[in-house]
Amino acid sequence: MQVNDQIDFVRQHIKKNKLRVFMTILAATMGTAFLIVLASVGFGIHDTLRNEILDNRLINQIEVYSSEMDLAKVEKLKKREHVKAVVFRQSVSINQQSELDGFIGSHNMTVTEFQEEAKAGFALQEGRLPENEYEVVVGNDFAENLIELNTVDREAEPSTYKGSLIGKQFTYKMGLYEEKELFPEKITLTIVGVAKEPAKDWIMDFNIYADAAIMPDLTRIFTSHVDDENSELFYGNVNVYAENLENVTAVSKALKDEGYSVYSIADQLEQLDVFFLAFKAGLVFVGTIAILIASIGIFNTMTMAVTERTREIGVMKAIGASPKLIQRLFLMESAWIGILGTIIAVIISYGVSFIANMVLPIIVSAALGEEEIASMDITFSIIPWQLVIIASAISITVAMISGWRPARKATKIDVIQALRQEL
Amino acid sequence: MIQVQELTHSFKIGKKGKERQVPVLKGLSFAIKEGEIVSIVGRSGSGKSTLLHILAGFLKPDAGIIQIGDVRTSAFSEAESAKFRLDHFGFIFQNFQLMPGLTAFENVELPLKLAGVAKKIRREKVQQLLQLVGLTEVQDHYPNELSGGQQQRVSIARALITDPPIIFADEPTGSLDSETEQDILLLIQSLNKTRGITFIIITHDDTVAETADRVYKMHDGELTEGGVGHAS
Ligand SMILES: Nc1ncnc2c1ncn2[C@@H]1O[C@H](COP(=O)(O)OP(=O)(O)OP(=O)(O)O)[C@@H](O)[C@H]1O
Ligand SMILES: [Mg+2]
Repeated sequence: MQVNDQIDFVRQHIKKNKLRVFMTILAATMGTAFLIVLASVGFGIHDTLRNEILDNRLINQIEVYSSEMDLAKVEKLKKREHVKAVVFRQSVSINQQSELDGFIGSHNMTVTEFQEEAKAGFALQEGRLPENEYEVVVGNDFAENLIELNTVDREAEPSTYKGSLIGKQFTYKMGLYEEKELFPEKITLTIVGVAKEPAKDWIMDFNIYADAAIMPDLTRIFTSHVDDENSELFYGNVNVYAENLENVTAVSKALKDEGYSVYSIADQLEQLDVFFLAFKAGLVFVGTIAILIASIGIFNTMTMAVTERTREIGVMKAIGASPKLIQRLFLMESAWIGILGTIIAVIISYGVSFIANMVLPIIVSAALGEEEIASMDITFSIIPWQLVIIASAISITVAMISGWRPARKATKIDVIQALRQEL
Repeated sequence: MIQVQELTHSFKIGKKGKERQVPVLKGLSFAIKEGEIVSIVGRSGSGKSTLLHILAGFLKPDAGIIQIGDVRTSAFSEAESAKFRLDHFGFIFQNFQLMPGLTAFENVELPLKLAGVAKKIRREKVQQLLQLVGLTEVQDHYPNELSGGQQQRVSIARALITDPPIIFADEPTGSLDSETEQDILLLIQSLNKTRGITFIIITHDDTVAETADRVYKMHDGELTEGGVGHAS
């Protein structure tokens, strides 16, 4: 029998029992749609949490802590395998003030190595990187924190610096928080570059980025005023950047083994991913139960179909239809139920998912009366193509399996008995 | 064409544990030549239908050899048997056994579909054959919209459509009135003459037996030649 004739044959049979087949498809659709929508919630929550964690941080960044971090150690870190860059930032820990053209502000001095920063993704919005110890790059929001001196004490809205920063010189002073007066020593710095704005708009970058060459000057000023052995001018933090995401775990594990305290987003994400993998598998499992229930319907429908057509099957066999062909015709029928049910289910699931993502945040924020949640950008339901594939595979396989026994039964029909049946 | 040796078959009857064997065919041996019309007569329950079922491959005999042409069909598997039927046999049943969901045309077409013949060729052949059996007018009728005689013609056309060398008929005129019966018998005879088809007809109707070249009588599980055949 030619394939198109087989399809024709199956179609004719389905037409004869439209209502029954329709109800069976409906059950298969509901089961599959339930599976997809249920699992899509797992995907949605996972995605939301991932985005929340990733935030502004870099996925291949590993924060490294050590009680005695120094340049020698940093150099050693740089030479490790799979390490792209090691950024050693040291920030001034005392009170600071900058003054530029009659505007003053408090900006944090961070000493770093620009070469490594560039490798790790530090970029400028304008200007260039410093070339000597008195040239600096300022954060993108530096000007926001520069307030006109004679408006400082007034009630009115203080006006901030609006002009261009490149090429401008400003004076930088340090002092102790517990003393009213700053140290008298001034350092004059030239702005040669402005850093790119941070990825998230709620993060402000007021920093002054300078090369490590400026450290001796700052230390001299500090020690001339403070002679406490224990107090330090700088506190440092080290970020190691792995070459790529796959290496993060290996690198951070190696560092941990050597006694460093280590924190990386990737580690946290990995735990999250493992958890959600199990969670999603659980949801798929629960959804599969719904499909299994629907499969009882398919089994019933196909068994009925075979019983009803016993005589016809007998005639077909008598004329010379092979048992294989009979089996295939019935399997095609149950597969068709499964396939059509799946297609409709996928369409419905995307619809439900879309509506859920639109409506649920509104309902939740209205119920809780909090704006924060609405602005938190929650995705309730995501249907990735992998989920569609998994659900389709489960649904169609289950349909075929439940059609298997009835189809076998059809091949076993005894010709003589079947021909004896009355019309 | 058909050679049968020592064909034996018995049925198990009774409840489980208390079954007993009822022998139906007790070592039949006979031969049927190509182009013959052979009829098998005998009392009800004598085993005529059982013999036909075994020859057709619907039923496996307990013992014995059936050879059709050069092929030993008694050794066939179920699938082989089905394939062989499609190519070599046609069937005419007492109660026609048409597919209720198919029109006269589609019923005749069915064996060609099973054989995988292309649609265009199918149409032509079916049309031709419907003309031969005189059913062109009612080709789009469903079986329940046809008279008994018309239904039997449809089933004859269906049996003929694959040009089989052998046609088995189990009481082909059993549900027809005597006039229609005559029509059908004439059709069978002419097909036998023009196409050289071998017919094996089971009947307990003497009129039918008379059209046969030879008549076998089934009695007590044994087959004896002779009787009312027109050649005798
Ligand atoms: N499936 C079966 N199980 C048990 N016994 C059977 C079976 N089929 C037939 N028989 C028995 O075998 C014997 C022969 O039956 P068969 O149908 O061949 O008779 P028949 O000659 O065709 O009769 P009729 O002329 O009434 O059609 C009968 O006694 C019947 O009871
Ligand atoms: Mg009989």
